[in-house]
Amino acid sequence: MKIAVCFKTIADYGRLSETDWAWDERHFVDTSFVRRIFNCFDESALEMALKLAGTSLNASDPAELTALTVDDRQSDLFLKHLTAVGYHHVARIQCNKKIDLRFNSLTVSDLISTYIKQEEHQLVFLGRQGGAGDNRQTGFLVAERLGWPCIREVTAVVRDESSGCLKVTSRIDGATLVQTVKLPMVLIAGHCIDSPYLRVPTLKQKLKAKNKPVTILSNTRLGIDDDTLINNGKTLIDLQRPQANRPCIFLEGKNPREQAKRLYAEHLKQVFTL
Amino acid sequence: MTLSREAIVDHLKNMVGPERVITDEQVLKDNSHDRYKKFETIFGVYTTPIPAAVVKLADTKQVSDVLKFLNQNKINAVARTGGTATEGGLETIVENSVVLDGSQMNQILKIDPTNMLATAQCGVNLGELEDRLREQGYTAGHSPQSKPLAHMGGLVATRSIGQFSTLYGAIEDMVIGLEAVFPNGEITRIKNVPRRSCGPDIRHVIIGNEGALCYITEVTVKIYKYYPENNQFLAWALDNMKTGFEVLREVMVAGYRPSVARLYDAEDGAQHSFDQFAADKCVLLYMAEGNQRIAGATAEGIAEIVGKYDECRPIDSKIIENWFNHLNWGPEKIIEERELIRKNLHIGFTTEVSGNWDCINTIYENVLERIRAEFPHIDDLTMLGGHSSHSYQTGTNLYFVYDYDVVDCKPEEEINKYHVPLNALVVEETLKAGGSMVHHHGIGKYRTPWTKAEHGSAYYILKGLKDQFDPNGIMNTGTIYPVEQ
Repeated sequence: MKIAVCFKTIADYGRLSETDWAWDERHFVDTSFVRRIFNCFDESALEMALKLAGTSLNASDPAELTALTVDDRQSDLFLKHLTAVGYHHVARIQCNKKIDLRFNSLTVSDLISTYIKQEEHQLVFLGRQGGAGDNRQTGFLVAERLGWPCIREVTAVVRDESSGCLKVTSRIDGATLVQTVKLPMVLIAGHCIDSPYLRVPTLKQKLKAKNKPVTILSNTRLGIDDDTLINNGKTLIDLQRPQANRPCIFLEGKNPREQAKRLYAEHLKQVFTL
Repeated sequence: MTLSREAIVDHLKNMVGPERVITDEQVLKDNSHDRYKKFETIFGVYTTPIPAAVVKLADTKQVSDVLKFLNQNKINAVARTGGTATEGGLETIVENSVVLDGSQMNQILKIDPTNMLATAQCGVNLGELEDRLREQGYTAGHSPQSKPLAHMGGLVATRSIGQFSTLYGAIEDMVIGLEAVFPNGEITRIKNVPRRSCGPDIRHVIIGNEGALCYITEVTVKIYKYYPENNQFLAWALDNMKTGFEVLREVMVAGYRPSVARLYDAEDGAQHSFDQFAADKCVLLYMAEGNQRIAGATAEGIAEIVGKYDECRPIDSKIIENWFNHLNWGPEKIIEERELIRKNLHIGFTTEVSGNWDCINTIYENVLERIRAEFPHIDDLTMLGGHSSHSYQTGTNLYFVYDYDVVDCKPEEEINKYHVPLNALVVEETLKAGGSMVHHHGIGKYRTPWTKAEHGSAYYILKGLKDQFDPNGIMNTGTIYPVEQ
């Protein structure tokens, strides 16, 4: 079973102060001084795929994992990390730096689906949204281009041993769905409580991964030229800061004492329990 | 006659009022440990005896009354404020211990800009004090990672240190006066004067006592003018730690006092994402602060010294500034860490030591070499490295950092399988090379096997303090002083 997990790294936006949110004439915010992190939904997808692979070690068709990103060399460190935690192959699609992919799910999905077809994967994992664009479209567009079914808001995946299918758990509108599905399939990871964090490689695994190569592909090698990517019918006109209201909870109670008790029991207790 | 658990609770309620004596089981469990046993407690396992009660103390008089009662009845007392201790100092290892919680003694009593002093009760959160000072253009100069959570009493009791120590000093350099209560109920106050020559400096009997001699109720610290607008960050990537220690030394010996002076090895630096900016390199970084002239001269002088080392290549200072501004641990990071530990069975700890310049690199190399060679579960380690973060004229500290997957063991076995043996290797190699086994976390309960080795012939003095001030041995048994079998 060939599985591809598509991920992106993003700047840790939580570390940008309000004054850092200034953009240049191309509408790019300078984040070069901020660390990069795995996009959180992609991180869940990466861990879910590892768990799935771990449970299929003795299967007749064990999982073969590929991590794929569309990015420049700043992602190589993350690809090494993924090699160390158990990804068999890691690949990066490098596009011309002039091409702005942030709000261009169409182009990204073209690149991903072309790669998937070439490599004959049967299962594609993606996070539901991420990065500056927060488009929430790439997964669906990849499924459309591949002509595969798609499940969104996935929170867990296991093999169904009897049928050779996958049992996919997803959570939509407060309901939990468990579906038994045949491959090929596109799975879009949502808020995943069981696999929120990617595992950490051991020193030994890191050492072993150090010299393993990263496959670097250009868009042209995938048969998509720069002009096609640039002329995609989208032009970024402006950026605006969204209203930054913080969510809040009103604590009801007969009196301040009762409200304080609820505040402690429901919100603070776990903080104080060191 | 030994009092029963119920009798202890009844007596305490009579003394301070029932609302101040907490016997809720979960509260007692949470007060039986500190962050040393974070792994097992995250999984709901509590192996330390549960205290008889947690007493929420209101004032110094109550501290005195309660301590006198506990002393008369030989009941173990564990002082606690913010609860951020990391070395087991807050563990209630004796059955029916009483936790003396000073977190409600939380008044900032005075900010005195003329004499540059601030006086706070033991339960004042350092972050709150700092906020109050900054409103008036001052700073306490003390900024440990635990600042959002830690309280003044605990910080002084453990000889805490902050991230700006190279300029402002550690807590012992800041404390001017104190109020403390001894187990016989004696309330003592040490007055606030700039310096005196009136016998030994008795502040140091109290500072760092970790609740093993007395209970700190009030602290007066120095304050400083705050000039954040002048802060300058400087950073370099370099190939090895030995060069880094040499640069650190040269800067200190030349007389510069940056507020921050740090040296990370490549492994530890990667934990802070430095590998994204300086792959496989050590990172040396400084922050110069103070009034404009001092900050400018400090930055210029450091740059000149580092510039002589071809090995050092500059890093964009904005990277370091951004990283440094997100270094503190607030409640949200504690929650995130607990979640990560629970989900991934993965945990990290540190052991911090110190040494003079002539042995610090030896300690660094020997500790890592010995762990790699001797630690039986090395395959479970995900990180092994270290950094220096507090430098002095005569030497520096070393923070050994080790993370690991907890494999094939119950939550309560994690400590002895991983943390204790790793801690032991660090301590042994440090003492062997002539360094100190603890730089700023305190001895707690897990480095007591080496307390005598640490102090050598001076242990006589340390022991004398315990004999004099806590002859019944009721003050935080097993902390600093090893439990004699």
